[in-house]
Amino acid sequence: MLKYFTIFSLSLQNEFTYRLNFILWRSRNILRFLMTFFLWQGVFYSNRSVFGYSQQDMLTYVFLVLVINTFVLSAPSAENIGGEIARGDLSNYLVKPVNYLKYWFTRDLSSKVLNLAFAVFEISVLALMLRPDIKLPEDLVNLLAFFLASVLAMVIYFLISITAASFAFWRPEDIWGARFFIAILIETFAGGIFPLDILPGFLKIVLQLTPFPYLIYFPIAIILGKITGITLIRILFQSLVWTLLMFFLAKLLWKKGLKSYSAEGK
Amino acid sequence: MREFKIWIKYTINSFEQTLYNKMSVVIFLLGKFLRITLFLIFLNFLVQGSKGLAGYSREQIIFFYLSFNLADSAAQLLFREVYRFRELIVSGNFDFVLARPLNPLIRVLLGGADILDLFMLILITFFSIWFAAVSFHPSISQWLFYALMVLNGLLIAAAFHIFVLGIGILTTSIDHLIMVYRDLSSMARIPVDIYIEPIRSLLTFAIPLGIMMTFPPKALMGLLSGQFIAVSIIIGLALLFLSLKFWSYSLKQYQSTSS
Repeated sequence: MLKYFTIFSLSLQNEFTYRLNFILWRSRNILRFLMTFFLWQGVFYSNRSVFGYSQQDMLTYVFLVLVINTFVLSAPSAENIGGEIARGDLSNYLVKPVNYLKYWFTRDLSSKVLNLAFAVFEISVLALMLRPDIKLPEDLVNLLAFFLASVLAMVIYFLISITAASFAFWRPEDIWGARFFIAILIETFAGGIFPLDILPGFLKIVLQLTPFPYLIYFPIAIILGKITGITLIRILFQSLVWTLLMFFLAKLLWKKGLKSYSAEGK
Repeated sequence: MREFKIWIKYTINSFEQTLYNKMSVVIFLLGKFLRITLFLIFLNFLVQGSKGLAGYSREQIIFFYLSFNLADSAAQLLFREVYRFRELIVSGNFDFVLARPLNPLIRVLLGGADILDLFMLILITFFSIWFAAVSFHPSISQWLFYALMVLNGLLIAAAFHIFVLGIGILTTSIDHLIMVYRDLSSMARIPVDIYIEPIRSLLTFAIPLGIMMTFPPKALMGLLSGQFIAVSIIIGLALLFLSLKFWSYSLKQYQSTSS
């Protein structure tokens, strides 16, 4: 356990070594936020309510996307594991007394802590500049459920990343294509640009059969109080089911991949 | 002429390299196509539900997005090599580029054209032309102003990429800079008029994304005055000139520390 604390600490130090890089990474998140924020503000310029959302609800949603994005999608593992397999760099880790996946999960955690700290600062500045009419959560149950859903979302995202990266065991030259494709699916279907409940009914149901809405949309819908009672329990249960499904899929692919791994590129 | 022949050679090599991984080509194209289609559906859905966006009709908003993708794909097609520049600097291999009897800017800016973006560009160009013709019935002069503004946008995109290259030489600690440009430019997926002041003026003139992405469709729709067209071209040329000066300055600072 101690070695993972050391990895956590070293990862934090590593991020501080490349400060300018980190600041630019954070500024990218703000730019994406601004685009979505003003797009919705433009929509509400001539409408009081759109798709059942008031301006206050929607701007709160957009701000929460920035928070949840930071917590769930800030994961260096997603960008590195596939490449390390494809280049044969995985071999360097396999001979070390660390579990490779735990190593990256720990690095992800350190990245999330740092990103979250900066996100709090950024949100405060943005809130001061833009002065949006934000609705703060009131219900304690929903707040707790939000934390639970966010942690599950974080794990699901990590498992999706491993599943996608495992592709590199068999097709190392195509790993970037696979990652790009998954990134687009997440970008659109996770709820980062718009709340998914504005979609027609059948699409909402189809999306629930994929892991994507559990990454961003459901945690936010929970904290906004749009999901309560028995539906809240069902969504948390579905989130847990997706975590387990992705866990077994990632584990199976990783095991099979390791067997066919031949350190190509080394 | 000699430079053009070399650029053609680089481009053919780059295309062959990309086409070698056929599955990657299919996945990337599918991904790019999916991204554009899904955002188009979203915009259409959004504008339909909200009856217009900041004074623009559904057709106008869709054309702004199509035109953004046209300019973006053209810039990516031409300047893809910039995404690989940091690796060239960090590994020290930039020395080999400098040692060749060719302007290094041609190699690092234009030396890796991306065929995937060429496919997308052809597709988007045809669709955009058809959509604009059906929706706005532009006159010949509006089409010409549109083409002029798109070309001017490409000049500005070239200037941005050259600035990124120059900064890449001065500091090796940045590997997200070109992605910051991508995120910045993606703010112009929607017309910049939608942003509040001072962000709107900043995006139009200081970081002239508005000139790059919003002005061309405005010119086609007849919403841009001749004065703005003239100012845009002056800004485009000035930026390109400044970026070339900055590139020369950066080259003089290059210390080949990695080699």
